[in-house]
Amino acid sequence: MKGAMAVFGRELRAYFFSPLAYVILTFFVLVQGYYFALIVAFLSDPRAAPGRPLELFFGQTIFTWLVLIFAGTFLSMRLISEELRSGTIETLLTSPISETQVVLGKYFAALAFYLFLWAPTLAYVAIVRWFTPVDWGPIAASYLGVVGIGALFLAVGVFASATSKNQMVAAVVTFFCLMVLFSCGLLENIVNGEIAKKVLGQMNLWQHMDDFSKGIVDTRRLIYYASGVGFFLFLTSRALAAKKWR
Amino acid sequence: MIEAHGLTRKFGDFTAVADVSFALSEGEIVGILGPNGAGKTTTIRMITGFLPPSSGRVTLGGRDLFGGSPDAIAVRRDLGYLPESVALYPEMRVEEYLAYRARLEGLDRTSSRRRLGEVLERCLLADVRRQVIGTLSKGYRQRVGLAGAILHDPKVLILDEPTVGLDPKQIVAIRELIRELGEKHTLLLSTHILPEVELLCGRVLIFDRGRIVAEGSPDELRERLQGQVAVKVEFELPAEGMTEALERVAGVHTVRALGPDTGPSGRFALECAPGADPRPAIFRLAVERSWVLIELTSERASLEDVFVRLTTRDAEEPVPDQQAAGEAA
Repeated sequence: MKGAMAVFGRELRAYFFSPLAYVILTFFVLVQGYYFALIVAFLSDPRAAPGRPLELFFGQTIFTWLVLIFAGTFLSMRLISEELRSGTIETLLTSPISETQVVLGKYFAALAFYLFLWAPTLAYVAIVRWFTPVDWGPIAASYLGVVGIGALFLAVGVFASATSKNQMVAAVVTFFCLMVLFSCGLLENIVNGEIAKKVLGQMNLWQHMDDFSKGIVDTRRLIYYASGVGFFLFLTSRALAAKKWR
Repeated sequence: MIEAHGLTRKFGDFTAVADVSFALSEGEIVGILGPNGAGKTTTIRMITGFLPPSSGRVTLGGRDLFGGSPDAIAVRRDLGYLPESVALYPEMRVEEYLAYRARLEGLDRTSSRRRLGEVLERCLLADVRRQVIGTLSKGYRQRVGLAGAILHDPKVLILDEPTVGLDPKQIVAIRELIRELGEKHTLLLSTHILPEVELLCGRVLIFDRGRIVAEGSPDELRERLQGQVAVKVEFELPAEGMTEALERVAGVHTVRALGPDTGPSGRFALECAPGADPRPAIFRLAVERSWVLIELTSERASLEDVFVRLTTRDAEEPVPDQQAAGEAA
């Protein structure tokens, strides 16, 4: 795993050296901050129904999803396609490390940067806590959900990144796949077949996030993310190996 | 040390490399020579374990390079490779990059630090060690790539066109470095620059259209062609029976008429048996027939002649575009 650690370290540093990462970070913080301010303003209005700001922040609205899908796309698109484009893949794959190690190193670097993106939102928790007592359970569950779904999205992105030497192609493929992954759960409400309804219901990420924000943690959902991550990372390492065969 | 057995590589319908076998013994410096698209890079990518061959195998110290087993991956530790593109990470500093390469190769912290110092010294990079790679000139980047390839002190070093795109001064510096490395490592060098091969390599493999068309030391190859286009004769005026008369001269293999397409000329190129010198006999022949001799020269074949000779193809034949096939891959 030494090789994977080397790749992880380099990749994480590369994030902090790339302007794209700072653009993402800036917009992430801006959007999240603006959105949090909106929620607080809304709930402060005497006419508003009583609610918990952090529950709204993580669930029930489309904002979380926009952020998740864009972050998943932009953080992962460069990972492997850049190596394919520049040719550094050649030195990487002739080093004594396996494709799996390369993929794991890169994936976990993306995940680490993703966690770093979310870190500033802890300030909102602190702000809310300053003014009112908070229930820690739902907050912890929300972060668990954000991390789980983000992990799944990034795995899809890493896979797409291994299929093309063009970052934009990788980004478009990722975006499309994430839209499918996200929206197929929403189809739950417009199909009639009992089994289809049940399957789609289990995959309804919107519902997942909603529940997490209320503090409901269903382990089946965590297993869904974990197996999705495993599946896509496996595909990525195969895709990387297959690159050589064509 | 490293052996290629019947390597064949196809890209779709196009065969880039066909049934190539060769072996490098320890301490040897071998050059791969060939025109663009001859399959040099494809062959190198196969023997470095990057590109799996369609058929055939590669062994390094008796161990197979393909197969994906942990052992096949560990074998790569004995291999140092400088790819043609010398792709580096532009945002990293020189020493950061080399430290990363050392970690990929599995060097521990102490030996990594020690080797890093040695290699920076060796490749004359000490003064740019803190510099960001993206700001370096091509020559420096080439040296950084080379430093990365020798960092783990591999048994076999494979360099794909190490001097391409460098200015003459840098070429001299890199060649000097390669020569030094050749003293310690088994070295395979691909190039299309002939003097480089004559200068550095003990043995040359000449590639053309995916095959090895000739093999030997630069001297052997030159020797082999010595007897070929060796003597040029020019008479003032063409005359009947010149070709036949020249063919009868001892030591002459073939006679080829040169010169204007409009009609017969008095110019001929003679291919001669190795070691034979037919010039005195030709002079006597000219005197005897009273043909006026205006030129009689012997040409020592250069490696360039060997190369051109072996790799020249008819203009009508399409040149296989290996680069395009590589892109498609």
